[in-house]
Amino acid sequence: MRGATASVDGAAASTRHVAVEYSSDAEWAGHLAEFVRAGLAAGEQVRYFADATDPGLVTRTLTRSGVDAASALRGGQLVVITADETYLTGSRFDPDAMIGLWREAVDGAAAQGFQGLRAIGEMSWGARDLAGAERLLEYELRIHHEVFEQLPLTAWCFYDRRLLAPDELAVLARAHLTRSGAAVRDGEPGLAVAPLAGPPGFRLSGSAGYESRRVTASAAAALAASPAEHLTLDLSALDHLDVAALADLARAVRRRPYDTPVRLLNAPPALHRMLELFPELGDGFQEVSR
Amino acid sequence: MTTYTRQPADPVAEDASFRHPALFCATQDDYLSGVGAFVRTQAAHGRPLLVAVPGERLPLLQDVLGREDADITWVDMRQAGRNPGRILSMLLDFADRHAGRHPAIVGEPIWVGRTPAETREATRHEALINLAFAGRTATVLCPYDTALPEPVLAQAHRTHPVVGDGGGYRPSPDYAGPEQVCRECDAPLPEPAAPLVLDFDEGGLADVRAAAGNWADAAALPPRRRTDWLLAVNEATGNSVRHGGGRGTLRLWRTAGTLVAEVRDRGRLTDPLVGRRRPDPLSPAGGRGVWMMHQLCDLVEVRTPPSGLVVRLHLAVE
Repeated sequence: MRGATASVDGAAASTRHVAVEYSSDAEWAGHLAEFVRAGLAAGEQVRYFADATDPGLVTRTLTRSGVDAASALRGGQLVVITADETYLTGSRFDPDAMIGLWREAVDGAAAQGFQGLRAIGEMSWGARDLAGAERLLEYELRIHHEVFEQLPLTAWCFYDRRLLAPDELAVLARAHLTRSGAAVRDGEPGLAVAPLAGPPGFRLSGSAGYESRRVTASAAAALAASPAEHLTLDLSALDHLDVAALADLARAVRRRPYDTPVRLLNAPPALHRMLELFPELGDGFQEVSR
Repeated sequence: MTTYTRQPADPVAEDASFRHPALFCATQDDYLSGVGAFVRTQAAHGRPLLVAVPGERLPLLQDVLGREDADITWVDMRQAGRNPGRILSMLLDFADRHAGRHPAIVGEPIWVGRTPAETREATRHEALINLAFAGRTATVLCPYDTALPEPVLAQAHRTHPVVGDGGGYRPSPDYAGPEQVCRECDAPLPEPAAPLVLDFDEGGLADVRAAAGNWADAAALPPRRRTDWLLAVNEATGNSVRHGGGRGTLRLWRTAGTLVAEVRDRGRLTDPLVGRRRPDPLSPAGGRGVWMMHQLCDLVEVRTPPSGLVVRLHLAVE
């Protein structure tokens, strides 16, 4: 067995967890073939976790694209399965369980002699009425540090623009340090949160208000769950946050198992003003400026 | 100079739990004598004191009473109480910190020069003291300069169960309950000329913040006040979405020296003490918004017409 305990630096990890957005079957097929072909050529195991797509269509599309899917399936190098049969089999989606499954999957691929593991996950289930689906953003935020910086895994998260609301998709896609797909939009409004490529932590950008409370809650959950003792919250690109957002983050810091304060980088004026009114919201944070 | 033949009686009866006397002062000597007697009496009983009066009064009182008494907290009411809606929180906080020691407070929320709108809200504050302190063991003495307009002085007789002057303290025959006074303070708000009108729902909250920010920039608000403005407008509009029927209307305008933001929605405000006590900022239930508005703004006016709720936030540009 190899690789499962390897540690990879954050910058390299950031290119191995990719949000892939597409709006048509043709775009989907192009991304699919590119990813699988590269994985098979590199001797990696490739797993496709389908949600909205029939698994048979995945293999037929690969075959039509010139990939010897049948052979890869027979040899166990290609696995096409549904999310419902795997990580969504429980009563609810659980990021902690999911992170454990990645560890097992990487170990399994190594045990079978593959050079590594790469995976595609259709993320359309995030828009379904599924228990725990509201934790998808928390999960996307956490896995940069908790999975990709720890394991030799490459994963493309497939986001079908036809199946997710634009605002939800934008928030989820922006939780990835690498995005792919036609017409990736810049300057998307609202609040965005992403993992940091360097030290463990998260970066909030935009403007946090009542309308973005679910994004803030996800960021807070990821912050609370992070196993990193030294954590940074980069607020350099945050224009504004309201007191509910600050309180969410303050409560999350209190849930962490460490006494080490969370570094607050370049907090906006609104945060300073709120700390004048509510100094206790600053407990557990250490402000630093770059 | 007024010469007293006897000191005013102690406005705190032995069996009283809460007393809220007004002290009418015609001259500076009246003021120093009356407030000074109160402070000395309370100090003699070992009671912690908060003296919150207009800043120019502080050195005068300190000259008379001394500056070193550790049990006296001095506060410039022109600053701390610029917005009358945040005074009560300060008084309650002091009383909470000294519960069990019969805290005593000198609170002068109305001074010559207060605008009519500020005076109205300060009168509301005076009425709400009776509600907020009911059942507590505390004394709040409120000095009134008799140079204030007669209607203001008349209201002081309605908001204080006990009134006094150089001749002593006595029950106020005009005292009215806080609910009645607050209703009378709900005077219709003047209509602005040509405000910017923005209807919003949850999806429009970020745009509202942006518009409020642009408005602040156009008014050249200093950075700190711009932050105050944005935080206050954000809380008011967020409350509309959260508690006021999911949507609201923001109107922005400018008067001489003041930026005003008004938020209208279909919410109700049934507790007149909302926002007048410092909330637990970590409470998942919220409850921080109105208190923050009071802390951040120079004046907050709340009205409850049949159509819902109106909140006006005033911020001085200077």
